Amino acid sequence: MSRTSAVLLSAAGLLCLSVISFGPHMARVSAHMQEPNLQRPQNARGNGAERSHIFLGLGRIPDEAAAKRGEPLFKQSCAVCHGADARGGIGPNLLRSVLVLHDDKNEEVSQVIKNGRPQSGMPGFPNLTAEERNDIAEYVQHQIELAANRGLYKYSGTMSSGDAAKGKAFFAANCASCHSTTGDLAGIGNKFSDPTAMLARIAWPRDRGPRQATVTTPDGRKLTGTLAHYDDFETTLKSADGTASTWPTSAIKVEIADKLEGHRALLPKYTDDDLHNLTRYLLTIK
Amino acid sequence: MKLSTLAQLAALALFSATGLQAQGLDPRALSLFHQPADVWPTYNGDYSGRRFSEIRQIDQSNIGRLTAKWKYKITGIPPLRGSGPLVIKSTPLMVNGTLYFTIPDHVFAVDARTGKEKWRFDFEDHGGHILGQRGVGMYGKWVFFLTPDGWFISLDAETGKERWRKKVADEKMQYFTTMAAVIVKNHVIIGVGGDAMDVRGYLESRDPETGEMQWRWWSEPLKMGDPGSETWPNQQAMDHGGGMTWMPGTYDPELNLLYWGTGNTNPVYAGQGRKGANLYTDSIVALNPDTGKLVWYFQASPHDTHDWDNVETPVLFDLEIDGKPRKLLAQAARCGYFFVLDRTNGKYLVSKPYTKTANWSKGIDERGQPIPDPGKEPHVDGSMVDLPGGGGTNWWAPSYSPLTKLFYVNAQEGYSLAYLYDTSREPQGYGGGSTGFFDPASSLIALDVTTGDVKWKHTAKGEGGGIAGGILTTAGNLLFVGDSDRLAAFDPANGKILWSEKVGGRVSNGPSTWTLDGKQNIIVGVGDTLYAMTLDGK
Repeated sequence: MSRTSAVLLSAAGLLCLSVISFGPHMARVSAHMQEPNLQRPQNARGNGAERSHIFLGLGRIPDEAAAKRGEPLFKQSCAVCHGADARGGIGPNLLRSVLVLHDDKNEEVSQVIKNGRPQSGMPGFPNLTAEERNDIAEYVQHQIELAANRGLYKYSGTMSSGDAAKGKAFFAANCASCHSTTGDLAGIGNKFSDPTAMLARIAWPRDRGPRQATVTTPDGRKLTGTLAHYDDFETTLKSADGTASTWPTSAIKVEIADKLEGHRALLPKYTDDDLHNLTRYLLTIK
Repeated sequence: MKLSTLAQLAALALFSATGLQAQGLDPRALSLFHQPADVWPTYNGDYSGRRFSEIRQIDQSNIGRLTAKWKYKITGIPPLRGSGPLVIKSTPLMVNGTLYFTIPDHVFAVDARTGKEKWRFDFEDHGGHILGQRGVGMYGKWVFFLTPDGWFISLDAETGKERWRKKVADEKMQYFTTMAAVIVKNHVIIGVGGDAMDVRGYLESRDPETGEMQWRWWSEPLKMGDPGSETWPNQQAMDHGGGMTWMPGTYDPELNLLYWGTGNTNPVYAGQGRKGANLYTDSIVALNPDTGKLVWYFQASPHDTHDWDNVETPVLFDLEIDGKPRKLLAQAARCGYFFVLDRTNGKYLVSKPYTKTANWSKGIDERGQPIPDPGKEPHVDGSMVDLPGGGGTNWWAPSYSPLTKLFYVNAQEGYSLAYLYDTSREPQGYGGGSTGFFDPASSLIALDVTTGDVKWKHTAKGEGGGIAGGILTTAGNLLFVGDSDRLAAFDPANGKILWSEKVGGRVSNGPSTWTLDGKQNIIVGVGDTLYAMTLDGK
């Protein structure tokens, strides 16, 4: 494995601690999994939701068109007992039904709809056609997919809390020594219109570009350039003229300008209210 | 080391040299602290989970000569469904000169002397979550393996031929099985994973000869009114409360207690439908291995809303404190706390955050259990915690060295945001998520087990790399762990790097060690490749 891919792999390992990062089309916020995925999905096809479906082993993907046809039928005939979203009412929660989860071809569910379950008080619906019963079953399968496939989870896109005026005051007190809403942050609300993206950006901007560093070599020279590689063992510095030098990390001193010092210092101080207020405020900077 | 211990060791060395060949794994190789040198008989080596080896042929004076003897690269298996390249997360067992290890759906038997494949067992799953496989368990001449879709399979260790298979978990309910079975007497202990659909966690004991169930322990009380049910609002929430048992536990033969960590509560991020502490999810439980009955519990993340599976190894060790010999258990938990408990009764000695402040909690209660802060539960607009989304550590094996009396953990430090999506009264599934890894750091941390204080910490330099895989300490005064694209040896006393070798990627399992033909080997998995290292590669 080349060094580049090793570094990429490790970066992916770190990132995947908190995000199933299947692609740019995913909701920005997604649930992480049982343990970090060290693997990079290489051969995965389709969009993020399809890939997470396959990864989680969720069986066949429900037919969305059929589920759409089934929705009004479900609401009309089933919702009164099983709830509008099939999560249960006076009748059982169908998303957690062992029978439903095992019914790959909607055969058993279709029979239950047709004949009912007289012993538990469920009436049959003999007037529904086989196709309609299948569509209803598919609607339930789709509801299961929405709950189980984290790749489909979506943030609502709108904030429920936060006060822009308070955010403005917080900004003036804590951020304005480095940033200006008419200078470097002009139009930031257009660039990060999604509140979750804005909040992540406030907390920890990631696209800092190549890291500039000064290396003090074993013979005492000071060299400045860009870090091409840096870990506990080896350091490679690329100078402005393009020459690269490599040393054992233990033999040199590496000084990296900490552009995020201010952000780092604020992380332990923020209350969630501060973060919501700041987000609200910066979203208004169009 | 006491004389009696040395005598014990000598006795073990004697039987291991003579008695093992014909019968497969000699049950006497399974011990609390002192496994024979020429065997690695269970996931953690011995029952204690310390991952400390008494072998000291390789030590600080000759570590510079450690290099690869052989490599075994998995070939002929396509990338795994949905998860991509093959990654060895299992710790290979080494019995009678053969290594047994796994990836999801596949078991490998490789000659420990040469790295040549002896046999391979291939399985085709029909569902289940493919993320990892921790390895096999062994009883006599039988190997036990778990598949993503919940099959418990017994193989002949000599030939790899299947003996029988039993269904132990239902993949349609989103259970999956990844762990290495733990063998205790005539019990094969297996746990399950699966938190997509809000099901109950459980731990099972199976008969090693027939595969039939001996007992099943559920992660939640069975019905309202049972002890622990007062921590749930109703039967429905309790029936869907999660608490998966996906990592191998530890065992004290003298106390006859099995120690197991339970996973996160369900629904994962949305706790409004399950008010209360939600026992026995996110706990360390002590069970009787003959009956599956709960003896004591300690809950690490009461009312968890951050997916902080408490399955990290409960490590057992003995230590004299204030002149009294103590039987202890320590865990560096995903929720960011370090716990040291009396393993006879679960009473705590230490309960303290080991990275930042664990700001999701408001301190600890009288039992030493963290008190969750309702104000830091996931929020529709995000709530920041001073731990990464995956927690302070994960499944990577920790280690305890009786020489330094320090506990070592591969830790992640940083901040993340937890979001609530499902605001309904009775949410389902994950119901939320976490994002971000702000001010990230990857650190090897040494903890004083009497105080919980950080004795030393090595934060890996750079950003792409970091500490990788599990930890092994040895009587040669060495600590092995992955760092960036290398295997590295640290001084366990002070965290100084003594040695490293490039292994072409990130270490993906916990390193292990044993002696064969008088040579100490260090075994480590890196993606699809297993390395054996010896002095001068001989």
